[in-house]
Amino acid sequence: MLRRLRKRSIIPGFGLTLGFTLFYLCLIVLIPLSATFLEASKIGWHEFWRAGASPRAIASYELSFGASLIGATLNFVLGTLVAWVLVRYDFPFKRLLDSLVDLPFALPTAVAGIALTTLYAPHGWFGAPLTAAGIHVAFTRLGIIVALTFIGLPFVVRTVQPVLEDLDRELEEAAASLGAGRLQTFSRVIFPAILPAVLTGFALAFARGVGEYGSVIFIAGNMPMRTEIAPLLIVTKLEEYDYSGATAIAVVMLVVSFVMLLGINALQSWNSERENMSVEQPVALAAGVPV
Amino acid sequence: MSIAIRQITKKFGRFTALDNVDLDIPHGRLVALLGPSGSGKTTLLRIIAGLELADSGSVHFDGQDFSDRTVAQRRVGFVFQHYALFRHMTVFENIAFGLRVRPRASRPPRSAIRAQVEELLDLIQLRTLAGRYPSQLSGGQRQRVALARALAVEPRVLLLDEPFGALDAKVRYELRRWLRQLHDDVGVTSVFVTHDQEEALEVADQVAILNGGRIEQVGAPDDVYNRPASSFVYNFLGNVNLFHGRIDNGTAYINQEATGQLVFVRPHSLEIGRQPSGANYFRATIKHISSAGPVVKVDASTGWGAPVHVEMSQARFRELELRTGEEIFITPNDLAVFADEQRAG
Repeated sequence: MLRRLRKRSIIPGFGLTLGFTLFYLCLIVLIPLSATFLEASKIGWHEFWRAGASPRAIASYELSFGASLIGATLNFVLGTLVAWVLVRYDFPFKRLLDSLVDLPFALPTAVAGIALTTLYAPHGWFGAPLTAAGIHVAFTRLGIIVALTFIGLPFVVRTVQPVLEDLDRELEEAAASLGAGRLQTFSRVIFPAILPAVLTGFALAFARGVGEYGSVIFIAGNMPMRTEIAPLLIVTKLEEYDYSGATAIAVVMLVVSFVMLLGINALQSWNSERENMSVEQPVALAAGVPV
Repeated sequence: MSIAIRQITKKFGRFTALDNVDLDIPHGRLVALLGPSGSGKTTLLRIIAGLELADSGSVHFDGQDFSDRTVAQRRVGFVFQHYALFRHMTVFENIAFGLRVRPRASRPPRSAIRAQVEELLDLIQLRTLAGRYPSQLSGGQRQRVALARALAVEPRVLLLDEPFGALDAKVRYELRRWLRQLHDDVGVTSVFVTHDQEEALEVADQVAILNGGRIEQVGAPDDVYNRPASSFVYNFLGNVNLFHGRIDNGTAYINQEATGQLVFVRPHSLEIGRQPSGANYFRATIKHISSAGPVVKVDASTGWGAPVHVEMSQARFRELELRTGEEIFITPNDLAVFADEQRAG
């Protein structure tokens, strides 16, 4: 293992850059995360279970992960569509629209939250007709999904866009010349090619949704058991000076997030393995038995 | 199936890619579209395929106007210069693609698809690599897979865009002989685009030479090489020595400026002698000899014009025992004279 790492390279500075990277990752990521575990370990299993698995906490996990998953799924479809339109078609104000996609990135989340709440409140522009139709958005779970979809959009668009731009036009022409219809060309040729990027965007949007706080708390209404997201519950616990309770919830969220991201990554590497075997592999295969 | 191209014009912005082109491709032939880059040959191929629409003119398949048909309706097999293989599919899946996307009613059963793909794999001699992905293949193998994929849909016509352009010299050479063999076996009408005159002359039944969006000449390789219709064709199809000169009463006078005529001589039509022979000869001094290869190439300077290139057999070269710096006499055996279009026009 070490010998492989030490492979002589023409690019200098491997030791220095690796050392810096590890140090930096420890400082920024690993130490704070292990501090969370350390803090949680102080309270013992019983206490941890009581705080981390209380009905209120479980309801908040379900809401946070569920709403993030729905939001990320919506963006999976809509974000890909937006990226497709931005790459494939030319229309007036395209550049403006393109830069609008970044707005959820750039906007302070509280501003986004207030804006969305104003729009979807029972007397807001969208809220009034929706309420008349019997759909309540603000201060319900639906509102949380709207907020998480809003903040997650750029992740999918910005990861899919460059991949779509690089996609060889000839692939589609080849598919068409072989008799594939538009839908078949998309589902069998284009979509598999952009799927890794879409999955990355999905994972990013999902992760962002799970951690989102600012834009959600305004529109959510924050009723315990109903519209209280996990990050808010942590803040509430902290405000009550219940530090170990807050940490217990944090640890649960950390573990669940980690497992889900791991799953998405596994899916992705499985997919890319199928798609483009690494450069070294042909040699290995050539030496083996013909397939 | 025969193809007829009638008065096709295609412009990209201000650039005219094709200018009123007519071409007939008879059934079962292997035809080369030959020309320098920017001559419109690829555009013409894409218009035949339906991947590009002409501004005006029409494309007929077997006498039927197909100009408004889509690429799928035309049922052409198109082989792209960079193969355009589907990276996430194996060799087998790539070849099977055209069969699997057929509407259910006309889709062959799984076993039939399998049999057909395996037959094609045998044809391209890649049966053992059926499970590999395109990234695991060499350039020549990818090209053959692309060809098999195009043949799988049993196209009425096979169109190949610079099929050997991205390959190295040796693979190119082998693959083009293989393509010729394949065409003789399969017998589908085929059109391929190339900028390599050697490739076109060796492989094709018929060569169409394009220049600046127009067809300069169409004919059998022997025809276009030995009876070129224009100075462009003569120039493009092989190495030439160019002299400004004129012809009077059957006698060529070279080394004459501004006469409005160009005299071309192929390097192998120049004879080197130690003594002047006949009435037509000029003196030159040998500057460089390249004797590695089947023909010996000699560069000589005349003192009055550009250097002259002469080619001769190894046997002749040994017989003459030429040395660099020697003075020799050169006799042209076969001249071609064309009007100097740049001067005239």
